[in-house]
Amino acid sequence: MTLASPGDPLGPVSPPVDGRRLGQAEQHDTLAARNSRLTPGELLTVKVRRSAVPEGEDVYQAFHVPYQKWMRVLDALNWIAENAAADLAFRWFCGSKMCGTCAVRMNGREVLACWEAVEPNMVIEPLRNLPVVRDLVVDRTRYEDKVASLEPWIERREPYTEFPEPLTHKQMKDASKALDCISCMCCYSACPVIGLGDLTDFAGPAPLVQLGQTALDPRNSPEKVRRSLELTGIFNCVSCYKCEEVCPASIPIVSRIIEPLKARTAQLAPEMARHSFALRGIVARRGRVDPGALVLRVQGLRALGKLQRILRLLVRGKINPIRTLLGIKTSAAEAAGRLLGREAEKQ
Amino acid sequence: MRVVTTDVAVIGGGAAGCYAALNLSKRGIKPLIICKGLVGKSGASLFAGNLVISGRALGNSEENASNTAEFLIKYHNQFLIDQNWAQRCGKWIEKVYYPELEEAGLYFRRDDAGEVVTSPGKIRSVAANVQGNSGVPFMDLRRKQIIKAGIARMEETVATSLLRNPDGSVGGVFCLNYITGEYTAVVARAVILATGYSDRLHTRSTGTREMSADGIALAWRAGATLLNMEMQWWHTNDMAHPPSWQRMQIYPNPMLGSEKSARMLNAAGEEFFNQQQDDPLAFGPYTVQLKALVKQVRAGKARYDGGYYAGFDNCNAAEVETYTTYGKTFRQLGLPFPASMAETAVSSHYRQGGIDVDTTTMRSSIPGLYAAGGVGGHSNGLIGLATYDGQVVAEGVAADIAMPKAAAVPQDQIEAECRRLDRLRSSSGEGPAPGRVKEDLRRIMWEKAGVEKNASDLRSALDDIERLRLDLPGMKIRNAGKSANYEWLDAIDVTNMIDVCELVIHSSLERKESRGPFIRQDFPFTDNDNWLAANVLKKSDNGLRFEQRPYDLPLFAPGFSRKDNLEVAW
Repeated sequence: MTLASPGDPLGPVSPPVDGRRLGQAEQHDTLAARNSRLTPGELLTVKVRRSAVPEGEDVYQAFHVPYQKWMRVLDALNWIAENAAADLAFRWFCGSKMCGTCAVRMNGREVLACWEAVEPNMVIEPLRNLPVVRDLVVDRTRYEDKVASLEPWIERREPYTEFPEPLTHKQMKDASKALDCISCMCCYSACPVIGLGDLTDFAGPAPLVQLGQTALDPRNSPEKVRRSLELTGIFNCVSCYKCEEVCPASIPIVSRIIEPLKARTAQLAPEMARHSFALRGIVARRGRVDPGALVLRVQGLRALGKLQRILRLLVRGKINPIRTLLGIKTSAAEAAGRLLGREAEKQ
Repeated sequence: MRVVTTDVAVIGGGAAGCYAALNLSKRGIKPLIICKGLVGKSGASLFAGNLVISGRALGNSEENASNTAEFLIKYHNQFLIDQNWAQRCGKWIEKVYYPELEEAGLYFRRDDAGEVVTSPGKIRSVAANVQGNSGVPFMDLRRKQIIKAGIARMEETVATSLLRNPDGSVGGVFCLNYITGEYTAVVARAVILATGYSDRLHTRSTGTREMSADGIALAWRAGATLLNMEMQWWHTNDMAHPPSWQRMQIYPNPMLGSEKSARMLNAAGEEFFNQQQDDPLAFGPYTVQLKALVKQVRAGKARYDGGYYAGFDNCNAAEVETYTTYGKTFRQLGLPFPASMAETAVSSHYRQGGIDVDTTTMRSSIPGLYAAGGVGGHSNGLIGLATYDGQVVAEGVAADIAMPKAAAVPQDQIEAECRRLDRLRSSSGEGPAPGRVKEDLRRIMWEKAGVEKNASDLRSALDDIERLRLDLPGMKIRNAGKSANYEWLDAIDVTNMIDVCELVIHSSLERKESRGPFIRQDFPFTDNDNWLAANVLKKSDNGLRFEQRPYDLPLFAPGFSRKDNLEVAW
């Protein structure tokens, strides 16, 4: 039995962790170190991005906050509101990773304030990709509207009969992961595609996880799932894993939600997956990505109208029309065809 | 300022409020949800760890079914409950609640073979997806049902006063959206208070940030009768550190798929509580735990604010973590799991008492005003009970508003409330910030109206609160802006909290016995001869007065007259 009482060292003391690398560093021993690196009373330097009152440029205001045992970012914010800046605006309700409303960016990374250990030097900023109301409070409307538009609820093909209905955890494996979502918006803020604004119609990781709760549920009718998926712009996701890296609920967002949803989309609404099918077909046949063939396949003859871009790509060696037109294969073509399946080759 | 007209204003977006709104909407009655947090994302419902199996559902034996009822009446409510209501509720949970939730898509955790996973033992339970986190998918589902039904909601909006018709009945709500700073007067034919069980009235409380006893304060000001306001439940093993984790519980309940449960150790490392061994009938063993802790504190082996430990070092990790979230707290601190025990402390949890209601309709003593769920004084918390109230109140309201009533906008009341709130926002005295006054109040409650109470401490708390009242007019708000002004919200909150704290203390002085989690050092005995009764609190011309109302005992009775409370199991 180990009694963890105040002041007990919990493990070796390690150097400060770079906030940007937390996703890679959160192993057991590192966490213990992060939670015991500071001693009660030690001063943290906390810089908080604040909205100017009445209006003007945002400012970073610095505070010195005494460390308390196992202090979370939220404790530091509460200390500031109680002792130094009563007018600091930040949202939270539960303080225990359930309501998902206290997410902020700490040293450039999205964290849940109630869940993340403090750092000796912290810069706290509001989430990205949502309008700031004041200080650290963001307007969630954009996300809420998107989720509502996806109608993430179940429509049964067969009428419900009795409790409990036949269902196994295996069938619910991916949906069950999505059900851990507390819609904290960490992933939404971290997503580079959402960061592109209106350039794409991508719904974003958080709405997709919400949709995954019912779209990956075997009880839902495929017709209903298809209608929802058509509104997601899901193939704009570049699978960069930023969402997964910051998720405080440890949901494998890309591998267990977005990828299965993409597969479901390819099945139920294949026209949305044209780009994906084309890429897969080209790789399966030629053993390599052929950007020229890909553009031709997806955009058709329209692509030829963009002469300037074609020239630029030619000069940079990005496309090779001769190889494309002759359909030259690489030595990997055989293996690629085998791995991706003959079906893909036909596409 | 805008005026909105609806059939029914529902204040609160938790289990009771959402279900009431859904049921009203199904009947063609238009509800409007006014939620101080976000619907389904704040308040106590979010914390539902698992769902107790009622009646004969899911292979429950006759004995299991009876145990569940006995547990609810004894351990959860210490007999201060309408047993007939409890019976109706149990039947409804068995027949309607589970099937309806599952039909809507709630995932009751299965194993790979398709069996619903339960906790074994005398009382069984299930989880929505994961034990310890059931409230999250449960309330998320409600949020989506509300959206699907097209029910209007005003979120991050605080109800600041009830609007009254000339005949004294309640005819609406005045509220403030504290994110935009906009006032709205909601004119309605009925108002349902569903503001929940737990309020943050003590330094350590499980209530979420926005819970400041608004429902009780609004009802009291409207003249509604309250009861059992002294009956306060406690969590005995919430994390002692950090402060924001004061509602992070090391769950003592039976676990899904395991015969074991968490244990508690005193400062000397001696085990003093292990639910599955100490009292298997105490499914949510919070009162049993509390009594065990009181003995440790009196022996100098623990403090109410720490110095004792809880954890799962008697289990293996897989046993705990296959179906529960219980490991997350330890893992997030980097503590070896399950080998480490975490320092824990007491937090005030559910208020058992609240607004006096007719349990067949959820009417309060004021026409037009209803209460459902935790804010009612008729029962103590389980998410199923709160949900059932949502159904009952919808039926009650539907029957009453069939009679047409002209909705008039009480202009004078609206103007007065605008002035009061404007004045609070521009508080520019030399005194403390409203948030500071809130903390001072919570400290007084923690120190003088905490787990163990006595008349002299309680009276001294009243004196302290009276002094604190003098601070209210001189509070200082730094930023007089309207948008996301949490100082302003604190100023509104503290006005409610201070009134309710006084009522809690007066009620505590009135109940001259100890009962379950209500522990009086000066009256250590549970006194069924004189106090197996509701401690009814009524507003009178010169303040307040108390009445007693005995309970019927059709199903279970205590079976003794007087006994040292610490020797009573429940």
